[in-house]
Amino acid sequence: MVMKTEERELNQLENQVENGGGGVWEYLSLVRKLKVRRSEIVLKHGLSILNDSGKRSALGPDEWTLYEQVAVAAMNCQSLAVAQNCIKVLQKKFPESKRVGKLEALLIEAKGMWEEAEKAYSILLEDNPLDQVIHKRKVAMAKAQGKPSLAIEHLNKYLEVFMADQDAWRELAEIYVSLQMYKQAAFCYEELILSQPTLPLYHLAYADVLYTIGGLENLIAARKYYAATIDLTGGKCTRALLGICLCGSAISQLSRGRNKEDKDMAAQELESLAATGLEKEYKQKSPAKLNLLSSALRSLKLS
Amino acid sequence: MAEDLVLDTAIRDWVLIPLSVVMVLIGILRYFVSKLMRSSPSPDAKIVKEGQVIIRARNLKAGANFIPLRSFRTRRLYFSNEENGLLHVPKGQGTNPQAQMFSDPNMAMDMMKKNLSMIIPQTLTFAWVNFFFSGFVAAKIPFPLTQRFRSMLQNGIDLSTVDVSYVSSRSWYFLNLFGLRGLFSLILGDENAIDDTQRMMQMGGFGFDASKSLGAEKDGLDIIQHDWALPRFEQRAESVLRKLVK
Repeated sequence: MVMKTEERELNQLENQVENGGGGVWEYLSLVRKLKVRRSEIVLKHGLSILNDSGKRSALGPDEWTLYEQVAVAAMNCQSLAVAQNCIKVLQKKFPESKRVGKLEALLIEAKGMWEEAEKAYSILLEDNPLDQVIHKRKVAMAKAQGKPSLAIEHLNKYLEVFMADQDAWRELAEIYVSLQMYKQAAFCYEELILSQPTLPLYHLAYADVLYTIGGLENLIAARKYYAATIDLTGGKCTRALLGICLCGSAISQLSRGRNKEDKDMAAQELESLAATGLEKEYKQKSPAKLNLLSSALRSLKLS
Repeated sequence: MAEDLVLDTAIRDWVLIPLSVVMVLIGILRYFVSKLMRSSPSPDAKIVKEGQVIIRARNLKAGANFIPLRSFRTRRLYFSNEENGLLHVPKGQGTNPQAQMFSDPNMAMDMMKKNLSMIIPQTLTFAWVNFFFSGFVAAKIPFPLTQRFRSMLQNGIDLSTVDVSYVSSRSWYFLNLFGLRGLFSLILGDENAIDDTQRMMQMGGFGFDASKSLGAEKDGLDIIQHDWALPRFEQRAESVLRKLVK
């Protein structure tokens, strides 16, 4: 994850570069280091460096890294000709290189030739069965072809070996949610919460999934996780505030007729506080919709 | 006796400085040679998996109170299950790293290369120092020492009445050996500043002993009492909101 200071530096450099100031190389290096995706800008400015032979030779051995970076950016922007040229240059310089082989397979994938790309990746995997990037490309291909179950299968196999990879768990959770397999998605989000318990994003997503699965126990748990999100974000998360109100009304619907048990002691205040917080935020940010919100909240409380 | 010997400045010019310079150069040379000779490590799938299992088990321990009790129990069972739990190492099969060391030719070669690259320059330099720079007082140590150090520090000097603070060049060699790490980290960049002392320590410890760490993690997991932290969060959220809404 990108830290705040790094994000600020990135944005600053980006502005500088876009407005004609110098610092292109620092920007490109920072993008590479942080592994963020800024394909159009990278493509535009990277190409301008590469096409200018003076600037290119000034880079020295970093020139090849730049070729690689521009090739990937070009493929992201579907400028396949540019990518092809960059890869050709790299092939001439580094024949028989695994890294260049990966780029070639990536290009085949970008062109949409799925079986050939599959073959290329399998060959690369034979040489290096523990390469994380190639495994992830296979998952991405399955997803792009619209075969989410195949993607799930690949991801599960990948996670059997590399079970500490947070991005993979996150991807798996999103695929499960898209397929409405909520119980499995909940499992993935639990993994994520375990790895980074202070990140409100995961609590929020987990709460959403629990709320969607439904059932009294899950709703109670969902409310707790919405509360955790609010605590971790200092009360600023609108979605969590709404989540609490919705959970509250759903719980009261389900437990109508049952005895009010222990959970409601703290809960009553939480709901009304959340509602007040929501109204305050709407007043600040979009006063036009405040009426909508108030009527919605009223109907939730009454139901 | 506390008489002050005046040492010739020629000693400084022709002994101390050249010796240091030579050692620095040899260190740099060794660094480049090791870079050339380094074989790319081919990680074993099993070892990678075990490493990741340990990370995941540690996460489970750390974040156990953030997930519901049932999920925690399921996961703990998954890890510590007697039959096919991930952390369970059956008694007989604990990978013996030493046996693995000698059976895996790659690793054996690597160890040999590393040891050789350290031993040979050391031996050569030491022999050179002994041959050329023995038999005279090279330097004076600024603090007084007891007589026990005489044999160690005054090897070439055959006068037993000289104060122990006056040492031979062999001790200057050892001083440099242990002390040039800081200099190397400046010159070669921080990661390459392994000097001989660290290498010697590394020689003792053999490779990654996975089975012990797995066992340790399993014990750690078994101990944990699950205390679901989320109810507390509800109250905290309440107070946060109250402050916000005021």
